[in-house]
Amino acid sequence: MDELEILKKDWQKKGDELPKLSYNDIYKMIWKKSSSIVKWIFIISILEFILPNLLLLIPSVRTNHTEIYYGNNLFIWLTIFQYLIIFYFMYQFYKRYKEISVLDNAKTLMKNILRTRKTVKHYVIYSLSMIFLTILLMAVSVYFNPDMLSVLYKEKIPDGLTEEKLRTIFAISFIIAGIIMTIFVGLVYFLLYGLLIKKLTRNYRELKRMEV
Amino acid sequence: MSKDLEYVFVTELQNNQNIVHKVCSLYTNDRDAHNDLFQEITIQLWKAYPKFRGDSKLSTWMYRVALNTAITLYRKSKRKLDTQNYDSIIYKIKADEYDETQELQLKLMYKAVKQLGDIDKALVFLYLEDKNYTEISETLGISEVNARVKMNRIKNKLKTILNP
Repeated sequence: MDELEILKKDWQKKGDELPKLSYNDIYKMIWKKSSSIVKWIFIISILEFILPNLLLLIPSVRTNHTEIYYGNNLFIWLTIFQYLIIFYFMYQFYKRYKEISVLDNAKTLMKNILRTRKTVKHYVIYSLSMIFLTILLMAVSVYFNPDMLSVLYKEKIPDGLTEEKLRTIFAISFIIAGIIMTIFVGLVYFLLYGLLIKKLTRNYRELKRMEV
Repeated sequence: MSKDLEYVFVTELQNNQNIVHKVCSLYTNDRDAHNDLFQEITIQLWKAYPKFRGDSKLSTWMYRVALNTAITLYRKSKRKLDTQNYDSIIYKIKADEYDETQELQLKLMYKAVKQLGDIDKALVFLYLEDKNYTEISETLGISEVNARVKMNRIKNKLKTILNP
């Protein structure tokens, strides 16, 4: 006899040994907060949308930003463009988040969750490259534009340093800081991303593998 | 009105709670985790309830929602199956109903099933619940043929675990 058939016979008899919850036990449960992965993805994704924008609120970043670019038309258009892109990402995220339904079959449910998360992943990659580009742009302009230095460094140039050397130092530290920051934020993000959807990815891959 | 809804839902779930308990016993290894998963499944069922009211019996949807929650939505990381942890619900077999070899064999089989991956477990669960391959394939989102192929592989896997 098939091993699984023996198991099936026993399984069907299991009823008596299972816990019996009362009406009140279950009633209390329906008002508890869910701790599902979808809820966590929502919270963390919203944080990830907000965080890159919060960087602009750090006082030193903001003053540098405004002093360098204020009144520059190009900068205003760039900012508008930036926000349009952010809103596009957020709209996509919201749309896909709404598609997640526990009533779908397992594969569709997993696919929709992964798609939602992928929107945020693309947004983070976009933000990181924008931050890195901005820093790179600052490094380049510090190096080639003497006016920039006076904005960033108002003190007297120390003895033994020429203006040229100071510009190089600034440019190089900008680039190093930019690389470190991008890698750090990227690492934190992908660690979080990986941990959050590790089980989901594994199960989704297995379902997909079956269809090959 | 919503009081009625609550009453109907809780009563129906109470009457069908075995389905959820069985899923919990397959996917968790101790009582706390079992209760935690049960609660999450209940919350998910309740949230989805307005959407499937009327169309069909709650129990039909319970399989899907319970498995989706266990496989996909449930966040707590499962601890590795601990061989010490034998008091989980599905091992409580009434000794007098079986001779010793069969009881041992059943224990080994439950242990083997619990060692399967999340997806394999879902297939076995639906099979044990006497669901046909159409339902199994619709619940998991794979084709019927693939569900059969996979099930045969699982049967062989279990066979080798039991008769090395």
